[in-house]
This record gives sequence, C-alpha cells and structure tokens, in this order.
Amino acid sequence: MDLIRDVLDKQLVDPEERRMGKIDGLVLEVEAGKPPRLEAIEQGAATLARRFHPRLAGWVEALGSRLYRAPGGPARIPWSKVRDVGIDVEVDLEFEKSRLYAWQEWLSDKIIRRIPGAG
Amino acid sequence: MKKLGEIALGIVTSIGGFIEVGSLATAVQAGAAFRFELVWALVLGTLCLVFLVEMAGRFAAVSKHTVTDALRERFGFNFFSVVFLALTLVDLLVLGAEIGGVSLALQFLTGIGLRWWALPVGFAVWLLLWKGSFGVIEKGASLLGLVTLCLVVGAVLLHPNWREVAAGALPSLPHKERAHYWFIAVSILGASISPYLFFFYSAGAIEDRWDESYLWTNRAVAGLGMSFGALVAIAALVLSAGVFGTRGITQIARYDQIALLLTPVLGKWGFRLFAASLGIACFGAALDIGLEVAYRAAQGFGWNWGEDLKPVDDAGFASVYTLALLFGVLLVVVGLDPLKLTIFSMALTAAVLPLSVVPFLVLLNDERYMGKHGNGWLGNAVVLVIVAISFVLAIVSIPLELLGGS
Repeated sequence: MDLIRDVLDKQLVDPEERRMGKIDGLVLEVEAGKPPRLEAIEQGAATLARRFHPRLAGWVEALGSRLYRAPGGPARIPWSKVRDVGIDVEVDLEFEKSRLYAWQEWLSDKIIRRIPGAG
Repeated sequence: MKKLGEIALGIVTSIGGFIEVGSLATAVQAGAAFRFELVWALVLGTLCLVFLVEMAGRFAAVSKHTVTDALRERFGFNFFSVVFLALTLVDLLVLGAEIGGVSLALQFLTGIGLRWWALPVGFAVWLLLWKGSFGVIEKGASLLGLVTLCLVVGAVLLHPNWREVAAGALPSLPHKERAHYWFIAVSILGASISPYLFFFYSAGAIEDRWDESYLWTNRAVAGLGMSFGALVAIAALVLSAGVFGTRGITQIARYDQIALLLTPVLGKWGFRLFAASLGIACFGAALDIGLEVAYRAAQGFGWNWGEDLKPVDDAGFASVYTLALLFGVLLVVVGLDPLKLTIFSMALTAAVLPLSVVPFLVLLNDERYMGKHGNGWLGNAVVLVIVAISFVLAIVSIPLELLGGS
C-alpha cells in the first residue's frame, strides 16, 4: 500500500457508509532500529494548515481555541480502527463520535436549528 | 424505455443548464457588435463543453467518485485548495450575475429597480435549497426553461441570411475593434465552458447512482443537451444581430436594451417572453451554482452532502450555500452593474479554465479511476486545444479590455 496515494486525502466512512471527513494527515512512529510504523490518521483544520506551513498550523489552533469551544471528536484515529482501504477508507468508529459530527452538531445547535424549517 | 425517459429529461435539464445570464448576455453583445462573426466562439465552446460533460458523467459512472472528491485524493490537499479557491471565487461572481439576471427580469416586468429584487430573489433560491425540495424544483425549472425556445422561434421569424450565419461558424479575424472582438470571444468561451456545469453534472450522476450501463445515456445527454442549449444561444446572437446590429446599435451598454430583443419580432408578448426566459434561466442557474459551491466544499472536505438531507443533518453544507447566496445578493445590492459583472466573470472563467480542466484530464486518463473507460486521444486533444485557446485569449484580452475602459 502506498500511504500517500491510497490513504492520505481519502474519504473516511463509518461502518454504515456515512461520510465523516477526509484523512487530513498521517501519524508515523519512528523508533531507532525499526522501520517507521503507521500509528494513526489525523483530521482537522490544524492538520491541514500544517501541510502548508507549520506556523500556519499554530495560528489555526490559536484561532480555533478562541472561537470554537465545542467538544471535539478524536482528531487522531488509531490505525488499528481501520477496517478497509478501498475507494473510501472505512473505520470502526461511529459517525456520532467523529470530529466532523462534533463540529457540525455544534454549528447546527448554535445557528442552523434556530432558523425556521431546518428540521 | 426508462433510459429514454432519462435521456429526454437530461436533455431538457441541459438546455436549462446551458442557457443562463452569461450565455445570453455574451451572445447578445456579440450579435450587436459583430453580427454573425462570432458564431464560431459559441460552436467551439460548446464542442469543448460536450466533451467535458461527457467525461464528467463517465468519470462518475465508472469510478463512483465525483470530480471534486477525486481532485483532492489524486492531487493532495495543497493543490486542491488552489483549485477550490479559484473556482469558488469565480462561482460567487457568477452567482451574483445570475441573481442580477433574475432581478433584472423582474425589473422589466414590474418597473421596480433590480436592486430591490436581489434580496427576495436570493431568499427564494435559498428557501428552495433549505426546504430540500430541490429535485422537484430543479426539474420544474428545467421544464419552464423550455420557454427560452421562444428565442429560436424569434430568430427563425426574423428570416436571417442563414448562409451568413453558417459562415460565422468558421473563425475569422476581426475587421474592427480588435480588442473588443477578442474579449467578447473569450466571454462567450467562458460562458459556454462553465466548470460549475460539469462539476455539478458529476455530482448529479453520483446522486442518481449511475454505473457503467449509463455510459450511452450519458453520451446522448451530453451531446444533444449541450447542442440544443447552444442552439438557443446562437438564436439569441442571430436575433441581436438582426434587431440591434441592423439598427446601428453596436454597443449594448445597459441591460434594459437587451429587453427589447424579441419585441420587433413578437411585439408586446416578445417583451414578456424575453423577460420570462431571462428570469427562469437565471433562477435555474442560481440554484445550480448555489448548490455546486456547497457540493464542492462538502466533497472536498468529506462532509455529508445530498439534496435530500435536512439542514440540521448537514450543517456545513447548508451553511455554505447560505453564505454563498448572501454574497451573491450583496454584489447586486451594492450596485455592481450586472451586465459588466456578467461579462467580466465569464472572461475570468475562461482565464482559470486550465486550473480545473488539466487535472480533470489527468483523472480521466488515470487507469486506477477509469479502468478501460479512460479518455481517447480525440477527447484529450479537443479539450486541451480549446482550453489553451481560451486561456491565451483571456490572458491577452482581459487587460486590454480593462485598459480600454469599456
């Protein structure tokens, strides 16, 4: 498997095929004397920002913690949770426990639900 | 039999998709200033669009990906974000132009200024998306869009010299106002080859769960639908040449001049029919573009998306089209001239075409996505050449037009 080609930026879905964001980053564990090991996949705006520049990631994190105080889902999903890598990457994690769900629920509660006709 | 129905519906939808404020305004400008000389730009643009739409449908049917999803997966987030920003910016300008187009049609019919109409129009578009009745409405708007065929009727009644029209299908060098000629040519190309159209088409194919059995349906819809759409645009150009060009009106500087396009042929009803055509076509396009902006964000960031989900279930998606529509309304309310906004955003579309089309072609030639259904050399060549021409013309003529202070 080619990590950049087959995993990074792929669609993440839960066991019921519900979309839960893209794979924004990969976390590798490097130990002396051993080949690097894929530890987890990462999600989030800061992860994306880091792909442009590390300093940008710092700003995004600072801005995020000031504006947005919602309970976040896990930004890191251990690789052991990954069940299948195909067109999409399926992980053994409920959509309701994902980071995407957390911020969309937050947005929904704070704004969307207050506009008539949303439900 | 079911497929025949889908082909028919697809063609009707495509006419509605092709004809919008950009294609109408640019065709009318071309006809008034250069008679039939710029028919070639419409033919060239449509040829390119036919290929691109066919590719977008084939890509969705074979790879089960939307184009946007694949762009991010294949080229990574950094490159994707450049394409994303450029296309979204252009879409927002075009959205403003479409809202302006509907508002203008209402101004023609009621006499109340178009800036007053922008907010109600934007609200109506938003409400249809918000209530999720989009599928029904889009098909309804497409059927209503057939009213634009009145332009074809008008053009025929005008008895133009069809031989001269056909001669215009071959590119020619301008006799006068060279810079303006090329600028209008670029605007026509941009109006015809709208990226939102083929991106939107691929999202629709995914929503309708196309598979490889749809490849022929797809070819028929792309080829016939876009050609019929172009026919209406050519009719607008012919009408404009006959109605304005022969009366010595070569510069359409204001939109209210356009309103009289059908009046000499069809009288008072011509005026109403033209206003209805403009309003309905632009309304349909505003729905499509609002949705496409939200689709692009959702597909690029992996959110849930779909025309049938309720706003509480796809908060990100609903927020994006809400903000996009607000922005579009704002462009009209602050008093930007809708005609200039339209022509300029069409030329800008042509300038950023390579950014979306070149990676798109790479995807269409990638065996991992397309298997044995990848592009042939002909499709690649036609699209690349036309996009290259559009790009070069845009880069040269946009600065000239801006300096010329039209």
